[in-house]
Amino acid sequence: MSSNAVEIESLSKMFPAPGGLSRFTVLESLSLRIERGTFASLVGPSGCGKSTLLNIIAGIETHDSGEVHIATQDGGKSNARIGYVFQSPRLLNWLTVEDNIKFALEAQNITRANWGERVRKYLDLVGLAGQEHNYPLKLSGGMQQRVAIARALAIEPDILLMDEPFSHLDEITARKMRVDLMHILEHAKPTILFVTHSLREAVYLSEEVYMMSVKPARIFKHLRVEIPRPREPEDPRLFDLEKDLVREFFSVLEHDQR
Amino acid sequence: MKNQAVLRIGSIVSFLVLWWLASQLSGPEILPGPVAIGRTIIENFVTPGPEDKTAEFHVAITLARIFVTFSIAMLAGIALGLVMGLRRRVELAVGYLIPIALTIPTLLAVFLCVLWFGYSEAGGLFAVIMTVTPFVTVNMLAGTKAIDKELVDMAHAFKANRRLLIRKVLIWQLMPYIFAAFRYAFGMTWKIVALAETFGLKYGIGYMFTFWFEQFNMVQVMAWIILFVALMLILEHGVIARVEEKVFVWRPIHAL
Repeated sequence: MSSNAVEIESLSKMFPAPGGLSRFTVLESLSLRIERGTFASLVGPSGCGKSTLLNIIAGIETHDSGEVHIATQDGGKSNARIGYVFQSPRLLNWLTVEDNIKFALEAQNITRANWGERVRKYLDLVGLAGQEHNYPLKLSGGMQQRVAIARALAIEPDILLMDEPFSHLDEITARKMRVDLMHILEHAKPTILFVTHSLREAVYLSEEVYMMSVKPARIFKHLRVEIPRPREPEDPRLFDLEKDLVREFFSVLEHDQR
Repeated sequence: MKNQAVLRIGSIVSFLVLWWLASQLSGPEILPGPVAIGRTIIENFVTPGPEDKTAEFHVAITLARIFVTFSIAMLAGIALGLVMGLRRRVELAVGYLIPIALTIPTLLAVFLCVLWFGYSEAGGLFAVIMTVTPFVTVNMLAGTKAIDKELVDMAHAFKANRRLLIRKVLIWQLMPYIFAAFRYAFGMTWKIVALAETFGLKYGIGYMFTFWFEQFNMVQVMAWIILFVALMLILEHGVIARVEEKVFVWRPIHAL
């Protein structure tokens, strides 16, 4: 196995069309490789099948053909650990912050003896030390999403999937979360597949950007963002990059429509 | 909290005073006063009444009947509701029977069971179970419809096994429905047990209503009714409400 953490080979997925008679293609022979330890973003318009792709990787959605392979630290002896941060926090509101994280640890069969240390470490990392015994509904939306991030990191995943995790937050909170995520990743360095519809967010956060078009979704552009991290959100080089990508994106869209 | 207690005690005291006044005005043979009733309740516990049984005996029998029928109806209703909610085929097959069961008037169910089983213990208890179970089932079915698919997906994404999913994700989402069913079913159960005792079963508080009613003994009839109401209030507010508070601490404002 190479140093790729994720290898997706000509993946296809169809959904039954409304009415149920015909089917339409969401993903058509989509291939993607992400190197270990890389922050990769998948950018595309709403409804292009980005979330579907993540759900297939996470195993909560089936696919019709193609292959998904996730490398594990021990070279395939165990099942891959997949961390998932959704658009909404999806916390278990009846469990304390601590028990929400333990839920993921238990699901992943992580030795009970390590739970305490993992909870402490990752809550600390997302800036929520001291909130262990609080209930999710007593926290703000931003803090709830931090718990969700801690939950996903705590299982020390082979791949961390993030599905527009900041899109439900107000812009100021989202901005702070992005900056904080950068700092978190200096300490934990998982492979990340980050889905967003915002080019700005993608170029600011990632090392690799994949651009997706709609119906059926295909990746039409792969770009490496060479600016070293941590980056300044206002870095003019990021703006230039974003502008170029937007231009390219629209030309592809127009081409597709013709 | 302190104000609340003062208000409550105040309202109880004024109710007793009004009751006493009303009994003075109408004459104790029409409406016995609170003192006479209270004395009768205590006497019933101390000195054996008809068939040489004290009130303790009848209370125990009624509580046992409530406990047994309530437990069976809850378990059966929860199981039935869950199976219907989680297996679409079962719902399609038997779902339409539920409204029929809900429509049968309670009193008729008791009479029917007397006809089927005679004046036997089993008949009375069956009447209770038959009327309460469908209500629990309907509530549980509604609960399964309200399960958040996003949370189930989350659990699957983290590879939670079935046991963990049920224990940490599903049960808790059903909890409000289980409690709603619990309260409602409990209220129904004690009313129907009292009814069944009044019409058919031997012994129990309801049996004593009938016994004294046939003797036209107003004081005793009221004493037994008030004892019954007091017992059920203690059970509902003292026990069930406490358990609920413990289970729902995670809610920011528990609307209980």
